[in-house]
Amino acid sequence: MAKITKEERKNGIISAALALFSQQGFYVTTIPDIAQKVGMSVGNFYNYFSSKEILAKELILYISDYLGKNLREINMKEITTEEKIQEIVSMYFKMASDKPEMIEYFLRVYLSNREVFGSDCAGMICVSSFVTEMMIFFEEGVAKGDLHNQDFFSAFGLFMGYLGGMVFLFGEALLPEPLKEYEESISLNIYNALKHRD
Amino acid sequence: MHLNTETKPKLLWLQGVTCNGNSHSFLNLESLEQLLDKFELLYHPLLASTFSLSEITSLQNSCDILIFEGTYDPEFTRNNIPLKEILPYYALHAEHIIALGTCASFGGMFQSLAPERNSGLLYKVEEEGGPLIAYKKRVINLSGCPVHPEWLATTLQMLLAKHTIVVDDLQRPRELYSSLAHHGCTRNEYFEWKVDTKGFGLKEGCLFYEQGCRAPLTHASCNTILWNEVSSKTRVGTPCFGCTEPSFPRTNYFQTKTNMSIPQDVPLGVSKRAYLTVAGMAKTFHIKRLEGVLIDYKRDH
Amino acid sequence: MITKEIIDHIEGEASLYFEMQEKRVDFVTVVFPHFRGMENMLKGKSALDALVITPRVCGICGHAHLMATVRAIEDAYKNSGHPIEVSNKAQNMRELTLTLEIIQNHLKWLYLVLIPQLNNFENITLSLTPLKGAYGASLATKALAILAGQWPHSSYMIPGGVTSDPTYIELMQLRAHLEKLSDFLEKETLGTTVQNFLSFESCKNFNKIASDVSSVEQALFDLRMHKKGFSHDDFIVLGEHRFTQIAKSRATRLYNVDITKVHVEDAFSPQEKSYAKNALYKNAFYETGPLARLISKDVKLIKNMHRRYKDSNYTRAMARIYEMVYLLQHSLDLVKEIDITQDSCTKSVTLSKVTAQGIGVVEAPRGPLIHKIKLKEGIIERYEIITPTQWNISSGTKLKPSPAQKAMIGLNKQEAEFVFRTFDVCSVCTTH
Repeated sequence: MAKITKEERKNGIISAALALFSQQGFYVTTIPDIAQKVGMSVGNFYNYFSSKEILAKELILYISDYLGKNLREINMKEITTEEKIQEIVSMYFKMASDKPEMIEYFLRVYLSNREVFGSDCAGMICVSSFVTEMMIFFEEGVAKGDLHNQDFFSAFGLFMGYLGGMVFLFGEALLPEPLKEYEESISLNIYNALKHRD
Repeated sequence: MHLNTETKPKLLWLQGVTCNGNSHSFLNLESLEQLLDKFELLYHPLLASTFSLSEITSLQNSCDILIFEGTYDPEFTRNNIPLKEILPYYALHAEHIIALGTCASFGGMFQSLAPERNSGLLYKVEEEGGPLIAYKKRVINLSGCPVHPEWLATTLQMLLAKHTIVVDDLQRPRELYSSLAHHGCTRNEYFEWKVDTKGFGLKEGCLFYEQGCRAPLTHASCNTILWNEVSSKTRVGTPCFGCTEPSFPRTNYFQTKTNMSIPQDVPLGVSKRAYLTVAGMAKTFHIKRLEGVLIDYKRDH
Repeated sequence: MITKEIIDHIEGEASLYFEMQEKRVDFVTVVFPHFRGMENMLKGKSALDALVITPRVCGICGHAHLMATVRAIEDAYKNSGHPIEVSNKAQNMRELTLTLEIIQNHLKWLYLVLIPQLNNFENITLSLTPLKGAYGASLATKALAILAGQWPHSSYMIPGGVTSDPTYIELMQLRAHLEKLSDFLEKETLGTTVQNFLSFESCKNFNKIASDVSSVEQALFDLRMHKKGFSHDDFIVLGEHRFTQIAKSRATRLYNVDITKVHVEDAFSPQEKSYAKNALYKNAFYETGPLARLISKDVKLIKNMHRRYKDSNYTRAMARIYEMVYLLQHSLDLVKEIDITQDSCTKSVTLSKVTAQGIGVVEAPRGPLIHKIKLKEGIIERYEIITPTQWNISSGTKLKPSPAQKAMIGLNKQEAEFVFRTFDVCSVCTTH
């Protein structure tokens, strides 16, 4: 039997914690809950993360890096801004369908329990890899003349708020169709809202 | 150059389409007298010199160092003689040719007057398209609008001392153009921590984010070799206009070009991704010391 | 027969076409052969871009161009219903740096133009020390740069004030440079204290000093310049400053002026195309510059000179020298008045709200400099520049000569060229 590496162990904790935090919330979930789910002792857990707060912070960095990496791949493609919007929406919805715990964690833990993350996650630091890629996407879109030049947060809020709202409806089982069915119309709406105006 | 003989090297200062800004800037040089003592000045547009303009334009002399100020327009005349006759005549035998100012280096301010015809000595904006391109190795570009007098003095002294002048890919001495105008800016701490100035006329804050400052993108030693020995644009709250680069003159000098609030141009050689990551982090930390006024003169009034 | 002379060392060059009669100038026309088209360059750009472009009209008086631009933009703001307050501090700083530019100009003119030209005359032997002029000028520009960042080509004046916010340290340094300049002038140029020099009321006072200035004064007399170079004796001052009084004057009697009565027309230059336009007020030529300004301010010495020698070349030249010292005192006074507790720059509405015309008038070293701007939503639709040399060195007809033309008539060629330079010609400005 191959030996489980420390890195794999750590990823195991991250997966388990993501699932528990996003289902039960941050405060209800305990370290023994997580240790049990991974199948390790509480003592051993502390070899990986010295506190629940530190684990929580690792998780948001993990999600942000995951999103950032995917966005970066899209940003690097030689495609139009409109196509990039489609790919971003598609990537985001796929993540919400395949790994709902990631988006859930972001919306229900990170955004709802800011006090947990403290000054280490002040501002956008812990989601910087994701936000930076969104900045690059917007900046390039304007530079190419595809998008309307406006305040960053006005555009960012429109884009991510819309996607977050749809994922929330999906999570609450309020959407009649699977998320994928909405990709095209939502992409078009976002593009129309942000595109260059004459 | 006849450096080893008794005679002084012969210096000729010729002008194309110009405002005289480099000539006047040169007169600010603190060691002007000592420097001029080392040359025989054949002609200068402001200073007394060996020859008159008509003697110079009769094309019967030669010079060791040719300084050309202004945009090159082949049809532009001095004493009714077009530059296309004067410039090649002196350039042919000059040991060193200095394109003085952004106009002479890249076309500059007066390039746009006749874009097909006008250029710098080597470059038409950024492309090699000037009249002296065949003599490239003998031409030194000293860009700047105007050129700092010390930049010219340093170059002339280096030529006199026969030092090798290492140049950048736009033929400018690296000695003077290897660092950016940002280097030595007294507002650097604000740049590091991404504290924007709250408007013009303030000592505090960085001019890069909103006020159009080009210092982190501009090769120049303005903040290390101070202007008139005392100051620089950024030290008096004026944004750097990037006047040493081929892209000068630009537009919208007092406003940073942003796309969705993100600067279109980031510091030279830094990827936008890297810049935005670091900027986003730095902006997060609210440093009290950098947010207030430095000296509150109003408080006790 | 008409003969052509190229004049250089005048911030560029000009051609003079002389019609001589018995070795005396019967008539002369002036041609400025170079064209640059700065006004066209400004079209379609943001009004603020003019703050960077217009100083580059001229290497010696770019700061005056900057101030004319900022005044024109502020006037357009006012005319669009959005007047801008400029603090006393910013106004004093602007006036101070403008004044310092005039001082450097006059110093260069004295040592790089006037003395060498006087020396060209037979029997005149003055010591040639051009670098004294450059050194003195560099002290003035050093002081200027403390507030404006650099000289030439500063752009530190912006609508609402100035970009710099000096500390006491900087103001003290500035003052130290001015005091150094003052010491330099007293020792190297005047041969007496600034205060004593400014108390002079009569030409006879120059006999009591031995200096570059007294030698120049003597040389001008020896060349009988007090009997030569008379012009129309009509003067005009249009820029509003504390060192001027806006007025036109017939000899020394002042009258009100209305800036809208200024207009330009093509130069009379039958031999060669000139790119300079003549500037006139109510269809008449006026002399501008130091002499006009000092008459407007009722300065005793200059009024006395004028009473005895009218607008001769002597009076004209001495006025430029006197003004240099007069303005040095003014700048020393101004430094004391800068109140650093005030704001350097006030906020104004966004430029895109400005659709209006504006006019900015300042006194540049050689006289009134006028900038007219027409803005549509903050973008320049039209820009017009009228420079001082366009007033003094217009090229008019024989029946209606400009101040410089009139002053040259009746003189031999060398004298005429000398008189021409006494107007302190700026070729680059004239053919902006």
